[in-house]
Amino acid sequence: MANDPPPGTVFLLDDEPEMVKALTRLLRANQFEVRGFTSVRAFLEACQPQELACLVLDVAMPELDGLELQQRLTHRGMAIPIIFLTGHGDIPMSVRAIKAGATDFLTKPVDGAELLRAVRAALQTAHTRHEARAGIAALAARLATLTPREREVMEHVVAGRLNKQIAADLGTGEQNIKLHRAHLMQKMAVASLADLVRAAERLGVGRSGER
Amino acid sequence: MSWVTIIWSMTASACLTLAAIHLLVWCQRRAVWADLLFALAATGTAGLAFCELAMMRAETPGQFATALRWFHLPGWVIIVAVVAFVRLFLEAGRPWLAWSVCALRTVALFLNFTVGDNLNFRSVEGLRSIRLFGESVSIAEGVPNPCMLVAQFGMVLIVIFTVDAAITVWRRGNRRLALTVGGGIVFVALVGLSQGVLRFWGVVHAPITASLSFTVLVVAMGYELSRETLRAARLSEELRDSEARLTLAAEAAGFGVWMWTVDTNTVWGSERWLRLFGFAPDANVSFEQAIQRIHPDDRERVKSAIRLAMETRAGYGVDYRVVLPDRSVRWIAALGRLYAAAGGKPARMLGAAVDITERKQAEQDLLQQRNELAHLSRVTTVSALSGSLAHELNQPLGIILSNAQAAQELLQQDPPVLTDVREILADIVAADRRAAEIIQRLRALLKRDETSRQPLSLNEILDVVLRLVRVDLIDRGITSVCDLAPDLPPITGDRVQLQQLALNLILNAADAMAVNAPGTRRLHITTSRQPNAVRATVRDEGPGLPADSEVLFQPFFTTKPHGLGMGLAICRTIVAAHQGRLWAEPHPAQGAIFHFELPVAEEGAGRERGARDAREEAPAYGQ
Repeated sequence: MANDPPPGTVFLLDDEPEMVKALTRLLRANQFEVRGFTSVRAFLEACQPQELACLVLDVAMPELDGLELQQRLTHRGMAIPIIFLTGHGDIPMSVRAIKAGATDFLTKPVDGAELLRAVRAALQTAHTRHEARAGIAALAARLATLTPREREVMEHVVAGRLNKQIAADLGTGEQNIKLHRAHLMQKMAVASLADLVRAAERLGVGRSGER
Repeated sequence: MSWVTIIWSMTASACLTLAAIHLLVWCQRRAVWADLLFALAATGTAGLAFCELAMMRAETPGQFATALRWFHLPGWVIIVAVVAFVRLFLEAGRPWLAWSVCALRTVALFLNFTVGDNLNFRSVEGLRSIRLFGESVSIAEGVPNPCMLVAQFGMVLIVIFTVDAAITVWRRGNRRLALTVGGGIVFVALVGLSQGVLRFWGVVHAPITASLSFTVLVVAMGYELSRETLRAARLSEELRDSEARLTLAAEAAGFGVWMWTVDTNTVWGSERWLRLFGFAPDANVSFEQAIQRIHPDDRERVKSAIRLAMETRAGYGVDYRVVLPDRSVRWIAALGRLYAAAGGKPARMLGAAVDITERKQAEQDLLQQRNELAHLSRVTTVSALSGSLAHELNQPLGIILSNAQAAQELLQQDPPVLTDVREILADIVAADRRAAEIIQRLRALLKRDETSRQPLSLNEILDVVLRLVRVDLIDRGITSVCDLAPDLPPITGDRVQLQQLALNLILNAADAMAVNAPGTRRLHITTSRQPNAVRATVRDEGPGLPADSEVLFQPFFTTKPHGLGMGLAICRTIVAAHQGRLWAEPHPAQGAIFHFELPVAEEGAGRERGARDAREEAPAYGQ
């Protein structure tokens, strides 16, 4: 293939070993990193949280339905993209699959090119999510360096209040607020108020104050 | 003419007449020896009468001696005949006594012709004239022969033999016979004995009149014989009557009655039977002619059923077709029974035949309707399964596609990676075979064909059906729990029908659990060995059964909004056609249990079978 596959592991989960074998071959031939499983338990044991991966899942597994697996994955903090494979794509089943967090829904027999496209897209999504998760982690680390006073000020700032108003609320001088504000902007590594608001949104800071 | 001549001649001729009558009777039925023995005894008595007459009319001692000598020959005949009569007709008397009597009498006869003038006299010296019935007759005077004691002793033995026999007959309950025949013989013997003794010692001077007392015995014997003959005649009349009644009843019921006599190879048939087989009302039919009327396809089967009945002495029952002279074909149901002769050899076969053409036609119509209905129900069931079947087929197709595309990719690389390609191709072939098998299974299930019987494994049937419905069950959130007994004996049946049976029961159970909460939809399938049968049990954990579970099996009974109500009725029909049974019962905890039992295949099933089986299997023949 012309383009190299995005990084990440493709998990295959189908109760039929022959199917797992065939799909593994197809994906490996296209330079994907593949791990195949025929039982949910083996898959859950092998799959690590935070792993950069996607899952190709046969809907008709005797042990569970997709929704249940999705819940179990979320419970373990693993929000990996899932591509559903089904023998017969009827509407209730696709609805169920989408609800279960499918990024794609393919019917068997699945065409190789289609599967590769779907897997590539799913890994891309995983990558994006991974990146996002990594960004938030960095921001959270920064947030943790703020003093309680600075955090307090930050909550007021992102709520859109003026320095004067904040000083009055907190019972201090406007100069003090300005100083705290400069410090926290520096600690949070943001250049503008807009950046600070975006960071606060991603971290979920300030929303509780409004409620 | 003198009285003596009249009495003795008449006695002789009466005895001869009786003898002639019974001789004729004996000629008609040789098996009845009593008639011949009676004829001999009566002839002997006539002989005695003639000899006695000759003695009374003798003019010289020589004539008298000769007549007396010959007198003992009919005497011997009578004794032997009477002893044999007691043994054969009364069926009594000790054999050794009988033989002793005959032997003694034979010795006496021998002595009669060898020692002296005759058994009575060493030599007849002279004649004396005495008066009898108003005329003079001769009696002899001479030296008595001591050999006469042998004959006298013989008479004593006869009395012992007869009394013993008469007691036996009396105890048997036939007192009259004991008195007439037994009493008659004892009377004659005692008279003869006393006359002989008195004459020997010269106490009385009288002519020998044994024939008169013997006539009494002959009359007694004749009386008993004629009673017997009359009884036989009455019996045969009663038999004819009962035969006529039987034939009448059979005709009224539409049965034709037939009897095949093995020895003469002829078949007697009632009027209706002859009509059933297309023979003229008065035709004489041979066994071969009757067989010839049977449809060529059924002939061998009928013959082997007859052979079997003759070998096993069992009843015979076959359904077959006959082709009438006008080429029309009728169905006949025939039943028969073998009657053996005394030696145990098959002698006759008696039976009834009835026209069942209309019933057969109705059966065939019903069978066809059932087949069509069953087919319709299969098509409905299978179309309900189509989703799962698509998956079932898509699975191997998907495997083939992915493998093939993987191979393409490997071959396109530079340099091509060939290591895995061989394995990939093997997997493609295997998956293709699997797809073909699924299609084969489906086609077999949908095929509208006649029933065929073969040895089958119940576990295998359940296994195939479970594979067909696997995905469907998963879609409905049902887990199946199987417990199939290993080493179940095979059953005989129609594969498709039994698969349909299992399919219906499993889908029913699945439908019943639709109302259950997810996670509580468990389907239990077990097989087990029963006496002479194998049992399959399908249990669901649904809401259970109506109070009267039998209504489930009635046609058009349904609890489903779109159900046809034929599923379980068809199941019942299928099980019945396999001589099995199907029933339902509530599970003590929750849900319903359906059981079906099928008889274990007989040893050598499929080959020639017993008469009963041949009858039940009749429609399957000739295909």
